[in-house]
Amino acid sequence: MINSNLLTVKGLKKYFDTRVGFLKKPAFVHAVDGVDLNVGYKDVLGLVGESGCGKSTLGRSILRLIEPTSGEIIFDGEDMMKVDNRRLRALRRKMQIIFQDPFSSLNPRKRVIDTVGEPFIIHGIAKGKALKEQVVSILEKVGLSSDSLYRYPHEFSGGQRQRIGIARALAVEPVFIVADEPLSALDVSIQAQIINLLQELQTSLGISFLFISHDLKVVRHFSERVTVMYLGIIVEMGRTEEIFTNPQHPYTEALLTAIPMPDPSKKRKKIILAGDVPNPAQIPPGCRFHPRCPKRIEPCDRIRPKTTDLGGGHLVECHLRG
Amino acid sequence: METLLSVQDLKTYFYTGDGPIKAIDGLSFDLIKGTVFGLVGESGCGKSVTALSIMRILPPAGKTVSGKIIFKGDDLLGKTEVEMRGIRGGEISMIFQEPIASLNPIFTIGYQIEEAILSHLKVSKRESKKRVVELLKAVGMPSPEIRVKDYPHQLSGGMCQRVMIAMAMACEPSLIIADEPTTALDVTIQAQILDLLRKIREESGTSMIMITHDLGIIAEVADSVAVMYTGRIVESTDTKTIFRDPRHPYTIGLLDSLPKGKGEKLVAIPGMVPKPSELPEGCKFSTRCRYVIEECQSSEPPLKEIDTGHWVRCIRAGEIKRL
Repeated sequence: MINSNLLTVKGLKKYFDTRVGFLKKPAFVHAVDGVDLNVGYKDVLGLVGESGCGKSTLGRSILRLIEPTSGEIIFDGEDMMKVDNRRLRALRRKMQIIFQDPFSSLNPRKRVIDTVGEPFIIHGIAKGKALKEQVVSILEKVGLSSDSLYRYPHEFSGGQRQRIGIARALAVEPVFIVADEPLSALDVSIQAQIINLLQELQTSLGISFLFISHDLKVVRHFSERVTVMYLGIIVEMGRTEEIFTNPQHPYTEALLTAIPMPDPSKKRKKIILAGDVPNPAQIPPGCRFHPRCPKRIEPCDRIRPKTTDLGGGHLVECHLRG
Repeated sequence: METLLSVQDLKTYFYTGDGPIKAIDGLSFDLIKGTVFGLVGESGCGKSVTALSIMRILPPAGKTVSGKIIFKGDDLLGKTEVEMRGIRGGEISMIFQEPIASLNPIFTIGYQIEEAILSHLKVSKRESKKRVVELLKAVGMPSPEIRVKDYPHQLSGGMCQRVMIAMAMACEPSLIIADEPTTALDVTIQAQILDLLRKIREESGTSMIMITHDLGIIAEVADSVAVMYTGRIVESTDTKTIFRDPRHPYTIGLLDSLPKGKGEKLVAIPGMVPKPSELPEGCKFSTRCRYVIEECQSSEPPLKEIDTGHWVRCIRAGEIKRL
């Protein structure tokens, strides 16, 4: 079978054991609880959800930066869960990550040339003079001048540091990047610069992205398709415009109306959800969203809804649409 | 139209090893009683320092060197520390960004709210306990009679922010300063808290200063707004006008930076906010402005009223329009 997807994830699970004391019974947090998704070539899949819903865990499990509990990850035709460490290392050349906090994700004792140059050395791509040239050309791609080569992270602003983080990810010419909230530590005017940079790189280098963010406005701008996560599972997925203009899951609907819009002339009706963002250690039975759902019906608290295909790649897990 | 608070030419400097840093440099605004005044800007623009200056709780290195803060006819800068203690929490209270960090972890939430009541109002212990439960109920805390015995770590971020709001409301202040009250919260919880603040305002008529970096929040809650950049106001007017007809290039830049849908390249503001020690001569935004002309670099433009109640700090405000 020919697979047109760059990445296919099936039934991915990651449970964290939170038991304290070794005589106690194991207590698991179901951070990611059976996720199916795929990312095509030159595709951008947005992943949204609130804190604790498992979006970062999912992103890292896909790269095997944390070891998934079970599931299947097919990347570029290879089963990531079955490859040995040597092969995994080689595959990592093709997949990279950009982290949220540009202040803590760069080693303060390493100069830019060391941080951005490290992937070249690890993967045996270049060293010495060639390395320096390569690093300079990558820095140019992300909008940093060559005089930043020998400077340390503290000499840069937040936006510039995020550029260094992006340069590090680009160093090995990856085909897939997990961007884990790359903008949330940045100011509004700097956010726009970084979004533009990511978009330029995406189109010019044809990189696929899994773009994790809690900021729906940014996701709408950048992603081809959107996935909405709630308590470790995907509740809705579809093409970006479809999700934003015609959301089918009550949670997606609530998320969309909750964003404060910078336009006082438009008065919208907000759906304000009751209750807190739930704890992944105590997952409710039935539909996971039912305790907060304003449209809950009879079977919601007992039976977990099946995934319904609404056509055009629009999937939703809700009894109302089943 | 009664003015509750009038800040006049406020200057707050921080004294560091490298000389004074002018965190706020000549800030003036009026807050009309019963309205919400929004202060918006990026990190380091001086919006939080403004709040701390009004409350007079600046860190040791910070000092308000000149200006007036007229609250109900009296200058707060002329008050003694003892008088200020009566005003803080009594007349003016504050809600901070990090609700969990702002509460004391070793006391129950009931105790902490009660402390705020007992230090300002002459009421009996029993009455104050009753009032605590009422307040928690008013801010939407489920089963408040039981929750009063909880410690902050037993509550979620959203619930802690409700406790902070209850504490701020405890003595029925005439002014609440909310400094990024929802920044640390999730979107759905943010919607709950903004809704709560709206209800409080409708029911008690409390005036508010809403400090935020999020123009969306300004659009939703503020009546009038001031945009800050490098310690000064660059534009101020009513909320509708700032979104419909922004005139300062920085305000226009901020609005253009926001993603609006699927689409083309965003119009980003180039460069970054200059360091306080490296502010340019003349207009402080001139280094990043796309409308800059030679005149901008020689002297700093004053805040000029281009239309009734619409103040802009730009010499080209008359000709610039957002496309």
